[in-house]
Formats: sequence, C-alpha cells, structure tokens
Amino acid sequence: MKALIQITLSDFKESVRAKWFLIYGLVFGGAVILLFVLGITESKVLGFTGLSRLLITYIQLCVAILPILVLISTVRSVVGDREANILEYFLSMPVSLGAYFWGKVISKFFLVFIPIFLALVGAVIWGVFKSLSIPWGIAGYYALLLASLSWCFLGLGMYISTLVKKQEWGLGLSVLIWLVLLLFIDAVLIGLMMQHQIIEGVIVGIALLNPIMVFRTGAVLLFDPELTAIGPASYVILDRLGYNGFLVFSIGYPIFLGWLFSFLGFFRFKKGDLA
Amino acid sequence: MIQIKALTKRFGKFTAIDDINLQIAGGDRIALIGLNGAGKTTLIRIILGQYLFDGKLRVFGKNPRNHRVEVLDRIGFVPQIPPPIQMSVGELVSFAAAISFRSSKDAIIAKALELGFEIESNLKKPFLKLSGGMKQKLLIALALAREPEILIMDEPAANLDPQARQAFFLMLLRSMEKTTMLLSSHRVDEVVNLINRIIEIDHGRIVQDEQISESRLADHQLNCQVMFTEQNDQAVQILQDWNFKRRENGLSFEGSFIGTERLRFMTTISHFANQIKSLNIN
Repeated sequence: MKALIQITLSDFKESVRAKWFLIYGLVFGGAVILLFVLGITESKVLGFTGLSRLLITYIQLCVAILPILVLISTVRSVVGDREANILEYFLSMPVSLGAYFWGKVISKFFLVFIPIFLALVGAVIWGVFKSLSIPWGIAGYYALLLASLSWCFLGLGMYISTLVKKQEWGLGLSVLIWLVLLLFIDAVLIGLMMQHQIIEGVIVGIALLNPIMVFRTGAVLLFDPELTAIGPASYVILDRLGYNGFLVFSIGYPIFLGWLFSFLGFFRFKKGDLA
Repeated sequence: MIQIKALTKRFGKFTAIDDINLQIAGGDRIALIGLNGAGKTTLIRIILGQYLFDGKLRVFGKNPRNHRVEVLDRIGFVPQIPPPIQMSVGELVSFAAAISFRSSKDAIIAKALELGFEIESNLKKPFLKLSGGMKQKLLIALALAREPEILIMDEPAANLDPQARQAFFLMLLRSMEKTTMLLSSHRVDEVVNLINRIIEIDHGRIVQDEQISESRLADHQLNCQVMFTEQNDQAVQILQDWNFKRRENGLSFEGSFIGTERLRFMTTISHFANQIKSLNIN
C-alpha cells in the first residue's frame, strides 16, 4: 500500500509539471471560458438557456475531444517509461508490479478528471456569480458521465501502453481507435440503417458497444428525453432500455470498460518482459 | 545467493542468453565483462526479475519475478545511464526511502555526502538538471543506503570524476565483506582491484569464469611522484584532475590515490610515457 501511494504521488507530481497537462488543462478550462465569452448562456436551444445551455455545449465538446486527449496523455505511461529506461530503474527497486501499474492508473485518473471537473465547477460558480439558475441535476450527472468516460479511455490508454513497443505506435493506434469510434456514432449508423443492409439489432449493438455513442446519447438524454435531436440508433436504444435504464447504462458501461481494459493491461504488463 | 541453471532468453528469433549455468556465492565480487550486445544487461535484468526466461533462477532461494519486493529490497542496482526521472532530488530521495524497509533519508544523504554530493542543498533541483556525475552519485547513494546484500552495477563509475571514483571505490571496499557484487563493465582494468572473479559473456554464453587473486593494496592510499622531462599542458591538466600538486621546479607532481585506482592512473599517464622521467608509487 505504501508503494502504491508513493507511485501515485510521484507520478501525479511529475505529470502536473509536464507540458501536456498544462495544455490539457487549458483546453478544458479555456473551453468553458470561451463559451461564456461567446455568450452561449444567452442563446436558446430546445428551450434550454443559461447555464444548462452552456453545460450541454460543453459536454458536446467533450464527446469529441475528451477521449483522444485522455488517450494521448495515458498511452505513453508504460511504453514511455520503458523506452526511457525509467521502468528498468524503478522496477529494480522493491516495488510490486501491482503498485507500479495501479499507482499510475490512479494518478492518471485524477490528472485527466481534475481539469474537466474543475471546469465544470468553475462554470457552476460563474453561474452563481451571474445569478443564473443552477441545473444541479444536469451538472451532477454530467460530472459522473465525464468521470466514467475518462475512466473508460484511461483504461484503454493503459492497455495500449502495455501492448505496443514504441510510443509512436501507441499514439497511432489511439488516434485510429478514436476515429473509428467517432465514425460509428449516429452519423454512420444512420447510413447503415437507411440502406437496410444490416439488421437493426446489429446496428443497435454497435451503438451500445461504442462508449462515445453511449456517452453522447446519455448526455443528450437529459435535455432531450425523447432523443429527437439525434439519430435513430439512439432512439431505438432508448426504446429498449428506457430513460432511467439508459442513464444508468451510460455511466456504468464506460466504467466497466475502463476496468476491463485496465485489468487486461495489468495482466499483459505482469506477464511480459518489463524493461 | 544466486543460482542459475540452463537459463535461456530469446527475443523473437534472437537468443540473448544461451543456456547459462552459474552459481554466485556470498562474497563473490564479479566483473561481468563482454562486448556491447554480449548479453550482460539482459542477464542483469533477468536477475532483477524484469525479463521472462526459460530455465531456473533463484536469488536468495526465490524467483525474483514472483517475490519481487522481498528479493529486490536486498539488491542495490545502479544503471549505466541515469534515467530521465522528472522528480526533484528531494522527491526521489523520499520515494526511495519510503518504498524500502532497509533504507532511510539519513542513510541516503550520508552515502551521497561520502561521494561528494550534497543532497540537502540540491533538494529542489530536478534530477534531470543534475550533471552526469551528480546523477550517478545520487543513484549510487540510493542503492548503497539500503545496505544491499547483492550490489549490481552497470558501468558504475563511467560518469564520475577522479575524486568521486576514489570515494566510490572506497565505499565499495568497505562493504566488501558483506556484499556480493556484480559489476558489469566493458573494461576489466576499471574494476580489477575490486573483484575476485571474472565472468566473460560472448553471444549470450559464458566463455570465461575464473577466480582471480585479490589486490592487497586495494584500499591503501598510495603516494605517487611523477617527474616530466618537459612541460606538457595536457598532462598537467590530467594530474590536476587527479588532485596532484605541482612542485617548485614545475616539472614534478605529487599526489595520492587509492589502490583500486592504480591501474587506471597508470593507464591514463601512460599516454605521456615519452615525457616521464621518473614515476614512484609507494
């Protein structure tokens, strides 16, 4: 336990000093500031205005950029340390492999989640300051959604990190996975549905397996309970799972995926050559 | 302490370690020599539990892969090239002291001081920003502070200046009685006065394994006088690096070094053999 805490703390401190973290923090913090500056709280979509409108826009931005930023920032963890001979040195010390791997996972989770969470909290504080009504339900659910999506792609990033031999391969694979997942949200699924070439169950299955799609649908569901604003795959999913069922699924499924990939990564790390 | 039977390590089709058998007993001080790519680093990494392998390996009677923490707490390791650790010196010292049952901050600070590196005035400095010699001194201090029963070092003195080398070799000599050492080196003359056994690896196989007599002067401070026939600025610079003092006539120098450094000193100064009038070591 002592080693786990030490690895978590040292990795956290090291990463906070890194340039990628500064950029990462600026992207999410900057996004909220930009949305305020652009006056998004004054606009109205589907009856939503004020802070709800801002949070909805923020979450839509996160759908696209959060997965790739989390992947880029975690995919180098193990392979990067291996390439730089840091792994050889630290694993010559009396540190268990579990402490090393899970210490990195815990540290990276806080690193990727804290800036997004702080941006969300910042938006709420700004809303209070500006006397806007605070949509606590939406803010709380979005915080959970963002945490579950971060955890999902963090696990995937750590798994890729144990899988590849070079950092470049890890980054390339991350971008490829992200693009495929982005393609298989409603945009492509609508096309497949319209062509009637693939049965509906398969399309819904693809949509349900895609954590970005699940996140997107869950995020939209709060302000558009009938899902009229997005595509038919989401509509079919909602029809099958129900409103509350899907809200729970959209948080639970990415968390499950995150754990699954983390464990796969850990077993690969544990069962292979370390240095 | 270390038993290796029919050990083989392959990376794809390349065989890095080829059916090695080796027994390392307590008190063995081994120079592990061989060309680049011979298999020295692979063997060290296997002993440290970092590589999977075929065959049998026991360190303190245990497989280091399965009993990492208890085995590695009794082993000190110094890499050849300091890794690019982002932590500050203070953080690295705290980390190394916290994860070991046998180390402490005070012990690390004391060992580093013996090597001529003051940790307390460099606590905030990033490890990466230290000079090569300072990094190596700190890594050596971190390894020795655990009072390891086995000390594994990959070209340990490569980045050290002459004074630090002498302090380092003295520290090693003091711990000789209780520590088993495995020193990987390209050149046996670097470590010849420290060791009692040489193992040479070539293409993953042990091609030489022999006991050598120990130097009785290894931990003695030897006085040395050198006189040149003419002025040579390069020689003067080298002798000053070794802390030699110039005598009044300008061509004679006097200084001292420990026995372990005798061969290295003579090798260094041999470049100026044509200008040396006399050389006394006693």
